[in-house]
Amino acid sequence: MSAVLKFLSRTQGKNGPALVDWISYIYLLLGFLIIFLPVLWLLLNSIKSQFLLQKLDTNILPLDYDRVVRATVFGPEGKEIFIMKDMPEWVIYWNELRDEDKKNENNPNEFISNYEGKEYYALRTHLGLVSDHAKKLIKQKNLPEWLIKYPSMFPDAKKEYDPQEFLTNLNEEEIRLMSEFLGIKPYKPNGFTSQILISAINPETNKLEEYSVSRLNNNKDTVNARLISNPQGGIVKLQTQDIIVNKKLRPSWINYSDPLTNNVRGMSFDAVKCLSNSLFVTIVATIITVLINSMAAFALSKYKFNGQIIFFIIILATLMVPASVLIVGIFKMVSMTGLNGSLWGVIIPGAATPTGVFMLRQYMLTIPDELLEAARMDAASEWSIYWKIVFPLALPAIAVLGILSIIWRWNDLILPMIAVSTTKTAYTIQLCLLDFQGEYVAQEHYRLAMTVVSLIPTTLVFVFLQRYITTGIANTGIK
Amino acid sequence: MATLEIKKVRKNYGTLEVIHGIDLFINNGEFCVLVGPSGCGKSTLLRMIAGLEQITKGDILIDNQVVNNISAARRGLAMVFQSYALYPHMSVRQNLAFGLENLKMKIEEIDRRILEAARLLRMEEYLQRKPGQLSGGQKQRVAIGRAIVREPSIYLFDEPLSNLDAELRVATRVELKALHARLGNTMIYVTHDQVEAMTMADKIVVMNDGIIEQVGAPLELYNKPSNKFVAGFIGSPKMNFIQFDYLPNSLKEKAPPNSISLGIRPEHLSIKDENSLLLNVETVEQLGSDSFLYGTTSGEQKISIKLNYQTDIQANQSIKVGFKLDDAHWFDKDGIALTS
Ligand SMILES: Nc1ncnc2c1ncn2[C@@H]1O[C@H](COP(=O)(O)OP(=O)(O)OP(=O)(O)O)[C@@H](O)[C@H]1O
Ligand SMILES: [Mg+2]
Repeated sequence: MSAVLKFLSRTQGKNGPALVDWISYIYLLLGFLIIFLPVLWLLLNSIKSQFLLQKLDTNILPLDYDRVVRATVFGPEGKEIFIMKDMPEWVIYWNELRDEDKKNENNPNEFISNYEGKEYYALRTHLGLVSDHAKKLIKQKNLPEWLIKYPSMFPDAKKEYDPQEFLTNLNEEEIRLMSEFLGIKPYKPNGFTSQILISAINPETNKLEEYSVSRLNNNKDTVNARLISNPQGGIVKLQTQDIIVNKKLRPSWINYSDPLTNNVRGMSFDAVKCLSNSLFVTIVATIITVLINSMAAFALSKYKFNGQIIFFIIILATLMVPASVLIVGIFKMVSMTGLNGSLWGVIIPGAATPTGVFMLRQYMLTIPDELLEAARMDAASEWSIYWKIVFPLALPAIAVLGILSIIWRWNDLILPMIAVSTTKTAYTIQLCLLDFQGEYVAQEHYRLAMTVVSLIPTTLVFVFLQRYITTGIANTGIK
Repeated sequence: MATLEIKKVRKNYGTLEVIHGIDLFINNGEFCVLVGPSGCGKSTLLRMIAGLEQITKGDILIDNQVVNNISAARRGLAMVFQSYALYPHMSVRQNLAFGLENLKMKIEEIDRRILEAARLLRMEEYLQRKPGQLSGGQKQRVAIGRAIVREPSIYLFDEPLSNLDAELRVATRVELKALHARLGNTMIYVTHDQVEAMTMADKIVVMNDGIIEQVGAPLELYNKPSNKFVAGFIGSPKMNFIQFDYLPNSLKEKAPPNSISLGIRPEHLSIKDENSLLLNVETVEQLGSDSFLYGTTSGEQKISIKLNYQTDIQANQSIKVGFKLDDAHWFDKDGIALTS
């Protein structure tokens, strides 16, 4: 420990830090921050709730606000907006809760029975009870079965049925329920959105009052707020500096736990499958890449044969062809060889890389020929010269290639898109991440969290393999 | 145990011929040293024997078997390289075992041979170390050990001592000689250090520019060089050569016919009148036991003298130096030695 301290506090100046020390430390710190801050930002954002992300929250920490609910209810009287306070957390976060938590810990039916009127309607929609109640009613009153399917029918199909005639026999409450369920005008699905609760001086009454706000942006001078005691009164503009906001640290771990347990609403996200596909591609492809490239480099650097230079130039020339030009060609090759939909279609097209061959060849040129001759005198076959002498001695370069290949394979999006985009079971993690940005749902909170998860392997690889880069070069055994 | 025969061997690199037809016979158990100036083709010849280099023309026979097309691995020879060429990523033990494992030898036999070699070369303590952790002399031993465990029919050495310091070189030289006495194998040893050649060899092969100038026992080469090159190459300091035209008449009379130059070794010159030359001393070096005089005689012919005593001769002095006629070597216009 003291050795570490001593090492860290070493200075160039004899008494205390000199100018060079200051400059070096500032430089190191700056470099560290430039690299580290974006990662930190990603990490902290990955534990923000969906609510905060949708509000484009700019806080560094996942600080959640006091929330109120702005409810919108549609009925025969038209649209009515009101604020509901003192909702328990599980109700506010209902849509962010995991299914098992919803069922196990809370009882929405019991909760909702404490309310009536417009608040009851708003909660009924929010807690997802409309269809439950409606189905129960259909059973109870012996209404026709097709009513259950009616909300999910295509418009054309809906024309063949007329639900209106069945509503006449029901009482007012029941009509309302069925109308909400079936989507009959003027009943529309009720809105129930979380908003941020703030306090500020009301400019008209000069008293401290509570407001609800849909978005806070510290860079703007004013916030659009709605007075809680009079929500119908419309939006007022408040000075940002005058408002009082309550914040509470509340990391949203479900961002991680939901996708990892295949519990994402509206889609199936099989994290284990995605990650294991990526792992398979990365490991197998890296092994093949290292083997093929090092064998080619061995031949190019240690054997003399006709056309050696030509081969080398051709290999290097492929560096000049941009990858995007090759996409169509690779797609055709993959589908003609029947590899599409299989992970081998991702692995094989990228197995030999000109950069790898070039890098390893240059490194192997520095391995003295005498070592190979000594091995030949020692009755070694050409294969064991490669495998037991050249390969281990080229390990520092091979480790670099390995690390590059792992990172490239893990992050690659193009080859998986070409080869397996039509086969969901063969998706790699990068393709899976794309899925969170669906046509209708944008689940950024899951995407951020899973991006962090997908960074773990590459980070580990770097931590464990980087020592190979520095060792080895030092002990070339020729005196 | 094997004999080696080289018949009219030539070597071309592209169109450039570097070995111009060499004939040589090396007997079973002989310690044969190849000497010659840098670039004369010693390494190339040795590598052809080893099988690391193709033979352009001619034949190499081991135990009367032509081995031209047999790979290095199967010739059953072992070579010690100038740079040692130890496998840097393997421990000393693995370095020694590598060749034996390639021959699919049994583990017990490998262990036995390694132990024996380690004892012989006193390297038991560092069998587990990597070459990077050894001193130059220790690496040298491992390189020799790697050859010994193979129990080859012929040992090939390519300047194995040139990377050692002077003291260690002498010690290893003696050890190698003892090793040869003990193993009794045929050994071929390349060097351009003539002290090594003189002290170790049963037979010296003097090469120059891709050909063999002379083959013989060390003293034979010293006493009876067959040409001017060998005469100049063997012996230190170099033999003095004086052109016939600048010799005093008394000496010209005693020369055999067709002589073009006279060769006389510095240690055979002394300060006396018999067969004498007039010498302008330019530099005097006193080493205590010996003294060296450097100067010129008529026609700016450079001459050096080795005296085995301390002298009071000063620079810029003129002296007379003489020699016994028996010590003189005479050469004709092609540099071939003449017998007087
Ligand atoms: N691979 C090669 N290609 C072309 N010429 C070569 C090659 N190897 C050696 N030569 C030439 O062959 C000649 C003999 O080389 P060689 O290495 O045998 O010399 P040497 O006697 O071992 O010299 P040294 O005492 O300096 O080691 C040299 O003129 C060298 O330039
Ligand atoms: Mg050489």
